[in-house]
Amino acid sequence: MTDPALAANTAQTMAAPLASTKMTVRDVHFYYNGFHALKGINMDIPEKKVTAIIGPSGCGKSTLLRIFNRIYAIYPKLEAKGEIVLDGENILDPGYSMNRLRGKVGMVFQKPVPFPMTIFENVAYGIRHHEKISKSDMEGRVEQALRSAALWDEVKDKLKQNALGLSGGQQQRLCIARAIALRPEVLLLDEPTSALDPIATSRIEQLVEELKTEFTIVIVTHNMQQAARCSDLTAFMYMGELIEFDRTEKIFTKPGKKQTEDYITGRFG
Amino acid sequence: MSSIYLRRRVTNWLAMSLSALATLIGLIFLAWILWETLRQGISALNFKLFTGITANGEDGGLANAMVGSLIINFLGIAIATPIGVLAGTWLAEYANRTKLGETIRFLNDILLSAPSIVMGLFVYTIIVLPSTVLTHGSTSFSGFAGGVALALIALPVIVRTTDEMLRLVPSTLREAALSLGVPQWKLTLQILIRAARSGIITGVLLALARISGETAPLLFTAFGNNYMTLNPIDKMSSLPQIIYQYANDPGDTMHAMAWAGAFVVTMFVLLLSLGSRLIFSRNKVSHD
Repeated sequence: MTDPALAANTAQTMAAPLASTKMTVRDVHFYYNGFHALKGINMDIPEKKVTAIIGPSGCGKSTLLRIFNRIYAIYPKLEAKGEIVLDGENILDPGYSMNRLRGKVGMVFQKPVPFPMTIFENVAYGIRHHEKISKSDMEGRVEQALRSAALWDEVKDKLKQNALGLSGGQQQRLCIARAIALRPEVLLLDEPTSALDPIATSRIEQLVEELKTEFTIVIVTHNMQQAARCSDLTAFMYMGELIEFDRTEKIFTKPGKKQTEDYITGRFG
Repeated sequence: MSSIYLRRRVTNWLAMSLSALATLIGLIFLAWILWETLRQGISALNFKLFTGITANGEDGGLANAMVGSLIINFLGIAIATPIGVLAGTWLAEYANRTKLGETIRFLNDILLSAPSIVMGLFVYTIIVLPSTVLTHGSTSFSGFAGGVALALIALPVIVRTTDEMLRLVPSTLREAALSLGVPQWKLTLQILIRAARSGIITGVLLALARISGETAPLLFTAFGNNYMTLNPIDKMSSLPQIIYQYANDPGDTMHAMAWAGAFVVTMFVLLLSLGSRLIFSRNKVSHD
């Protein structure tokens, strides 16, 4: 089962051979107040696939994810260098519009953070910022987003209720609905199930499986089983470096690097 | 039982008893004050209190002082709230962790503990004295000046609570909104202030409670008025000032009326805070 494209994979440029590339990460470095947190990351993120990033705490996996929509830039003294090319344009270019980037790259966080408003408004809020659409169109968009996030049936009768009344798992699916309502192309998930119980977790994983037909998904997880279950490709990071990036089944069955093997077999991390 | 375990138990018991005692001492005085106010106040309550005016002394009531207090307090809060909420928002969202922000926060804390009579004198100097030009040399004390003095006392309270409440909003909420492409000003106005809303309103009510009992800053500003007036440009009476005046009077009837006034102020503040708690506990929201 040797894929010729995989043979071309080197530590320098770890290509994903499964589909066309959506996002290309080229020699990305990141500094926290001078601390060198990411040391030259190169990876090709394939379109409409699930790419998981795993690694021990502090390895830089969330940091990398947070560069993909430049959310890190809201804090002072953080600096990213290198290139991240999304559809032919470098999103790290200061001239790249933040508004446009965040419309194209959505993000869901570790803890569910609904806005303090109704369920309907939570989803409509972002749409309203980017587009002027009629009330009935808006209702359609909100319903569609909630359906895609597998939440519609549970909330269709209480759209006017405060979103903070939902359970944690429902809140997280609402956050996913809110992100996909903008029709982004890339969806970033930063440990989206770490605050959820096993049942809510499995619903989110199912959802990820469904969403990849429409979106390019990058998921950071500290749960290796989760990466194995729901991703097509897995990247293993350690100490700010990308150690290995390959098809998920390969990473979990025949990892190419000793460090990867040590990590997935639980010898450290 | 090992000696180290025993020693810890004893220390724990001691610390707990001391803190319980301290709480008790605090509560005893609070309860005492409330009880005396209720006991003496309720027995002095009568209908005339709410209809008569202070010009009639023992045969009158406190209506003009109550109305005056309402107007002056309203003015104070109406002036301080928008300025205070905006300033607190600026401190928390735009100037957080900057030198300028820290300096202003520190100065605001000093203002928070400034003696209230200083505020009265300050307003006397910047409003009452200059406005004698408009009144052709005659005295120009006014309910409005009183309102400004109270606003200066309420302002730092509102700035502080708004600032603190906004900083309690988890940063993940900011990240979530910004990751939708929403700009900072929309995030602040439409999400953060809403998330911190109940805390901010509580701060405003706290400030209102604080200024409802102020006497000193009104002496040089609203001055007092024995007749009923609704005109904020006029001299105006207020409950705390009448309580002070009547409590110094030798007459027992006047003392009783002062107690009744104190009762009214206390109930006003008590109902205000109870009412707000009731409203907010009903639609309480949490982020955890």
